Amino acid sequence: MAVTDRASIVTEPKAPTRRRFPATAPVLLLVLTAILLGVGEIMAPGFASSDNMLQLLKLSSFLGIAAIGQTIVMLTGGIDLSIAWVITGSAAVFTANCDGQDANVPIAAALALGLGLLVGLVNGFGVVKLKISPIVMTLAMNNIMLGATLVYTGGTPSGGSGPLVRALATGNLFGVVPAMVILWCLLAALAIIGVRWTRGGRKLLAVGENPRVSFLTGIDNDRVTIAAYAVSGIGAALTGILFAAFSGATFLGMGDQFVLPTIAAVVLGGTSMFGGRGGYGGTVAAVIFTTLLTTVLVIGSIPQGVRSIVYGFAVLTAIIAQRLLTRRDDLTQ
Amino acid sequence: MRADRFDFRRVDFPGRGPLLVFAGLLLIVIALKQGFSAFDLRSLCVNAAPLALIALGQFVIVLGRGIDLSLGPIASVCGAVMALTVTDHPLLGIAGPILIGLAAGLANGLPVARLGLPPIIVTLATMSIWQGMALLVMPDPGGNVPAAYQAALTGGFSEPFLGVAGLIVFCLAAGWMLRTRFGLHLRALGGDEASARLSGVRVAHVKLGAYVVGGLLAALGGMYLAVATSSGSPTVGDSYILTSIAAVVIGGVPLSGGRGSALGVVMGALILTITGSLLYFADVSSFYQSIIDGVILLAVVGSRSTWDWIRDISGRTSWPSRTGRAS
Repeated sequence: MAVTDRASIVTEPKAPTRRRFPATAPVLLLVLTAILLGVGEIMAPGFASSDNMLQLLKLSSFLGIAAIGQTIVMLTGGIDLSIAWVITGSAAVFTANCDGQDANVPIAAALALGLGLLVGLVNGFGVVKLKISPIVMTLAMNNIMLGATLVYTGGTPSGGSGPLVRALATGNLFGVVPAMVILWCLLAALAIIGVRWTRGGRKLLAVGENPRVSFLTGIDNDRVTIAAYAVSGIGAALTGILFAAFSGATFLGMGDQFVLPTIAAVVLGGTSMFGGRGGYGGTVAAVIFTTLLTTVLVIGSIPQGVRSIVYGFAVLTAIIAQRLLTRRDDLTQ
Repeated sequence: MRADRFDFRRVDFPGRGPLLVFAGLLLIVIALKQGFSAFDLRSLCVNAAPLALIALGQFVIVLGRGIDLSLGPIASVCGAVMALTVTDHPLLGIAGPILIGLAAGLANGLPVARLGLPPIIVTLATMSIWQGMALLVMPDPGGNVPAAYQAALTGGFSEPFLGVAGLIVFCLAAGWMLRTRFGLHLRALGGDEASARLSGVRVAHVKLGAYVVGGLLAALGGMYLAVATSSGSPTVGDSYILTSIAAVVIGGVPLSGGRGSALGVVMGALILTITGSLLYFADVSSFYQSIIDGVILLAVVGSRSTWDWIRDISGRTSWPSRTGRAS
């Protein structure tokens, strides 16, 4: 009797704690995306056709791939501002070494990805071992990569990507689906599963949530954080290779357009700036939403100034809405 | 007598480190160029002044543990408005940009101070808004600022006095502000927000105030640029978005807030300005400038911790700190 009594005490249901719906941000974004698609369809019939939507996804994929690393770094509570010139620098290395020949692709791609990896490792090392704040560390590395790219290219990037990579970046698979969309889907699945269901991903979330607790649990915080920056460097290099192939050539400053949109996408997607919460799924929704927003404004032939203002207000509104919706949850942080 | 001997190591004041770095770079430039004319001094100071103003704005915000990515675009808008209006309506051309700067600071500060949103993402959004505004106000570089303004603000081409005086005034004014009640509260909240709140600091008010002062200083920086170049440009401020943060950090201010000096920040702006002339006189391609800037930035923030790391590398197991955080 006594035993069952105790058991009943132990299993007595606790007062239900109010848990917010876990995916508020992505769902909100998908609703907004659907509205935007409707608006686009009204402005330009055929906008919401499956063909055009695939093209939109293709446009989103470059930002999406660059945002993988940003999501992972921001899950540790850090930030990566260096992707701008890692993208440009690795694109320059890739096109110069590839020189339009498919035969050179493996070595050129390896050099470019190696460069991204190297910068990522240096970023991680500075943040973790030298305790430099991520903003400063990655800002400095961005400057260094800017100068290094100028010196390497002499101011005019040369060469071009091989036809094979160009086909990957611009062509369709099975005649309809852009190859970039398939590549993005694969990488997205890898990132979502990697963060959510693998041991490494669990460690990443633990470090971001509370580094002291994760350290006491036996996690090597330093190694996890360095790995996060390394992934970001490689992701940026991959974006550089693909975007150079897509554009036909490397041009200086081509990476600048990625930095702040990746940060906006990560935060809009519900990943906390303080680390530990969120994931790449939300980022995907945010990337699609922001790309669609820009596209709708472009087809509405809205001048660039207004586009930029609307983009800013959209980001601001979205984060304020998120904060108001999740305020209860944040108070317990 | 030992105690009578002058020992520079004992002379410590806030901003000494950046001052020494700048003095060293200046000496190298003088050695390379074998001279330093009044014209050189004038251009150094006048080129550094807008960055110094915007970086001081960033400094005030960083002191309260914030960050602002929109200061550069605010400067663009204010410079553009001034260049468009000041010739015909002097009063509007001067008061307008100042009011815009104050309003922009208020718009940044309210979401941060009232809703507790992360400053980096709020100002990322407002950055985009002000970049758009600048393009609407002035689609292409243009406008005009009468030459009299330039003469009054920066002096003649080989007249360094006003340029130097400007930088000194910025230092003194910002240094004075840090000693007011607002400045004290700001430093307190940057040091430890919870303690500041318990000590009766009205945290939200002070944070809001920091962003408003930041917006005002960005506006003044944009106006200085417009006057010095006699024109406006919608994108002129974009290069200050990240350089203003770099100048603050090189000036010895930690992004974790609470500490730092106006002198250091102005020196940070001078350091980032003089590296350009350094490379020019050393006959090195200007391509290397951003590498040098990046290395200086890392050297300033990383030198001490690098020594610590090298010392610790043999026998360690240190308690992890909460470093590795963006804000």
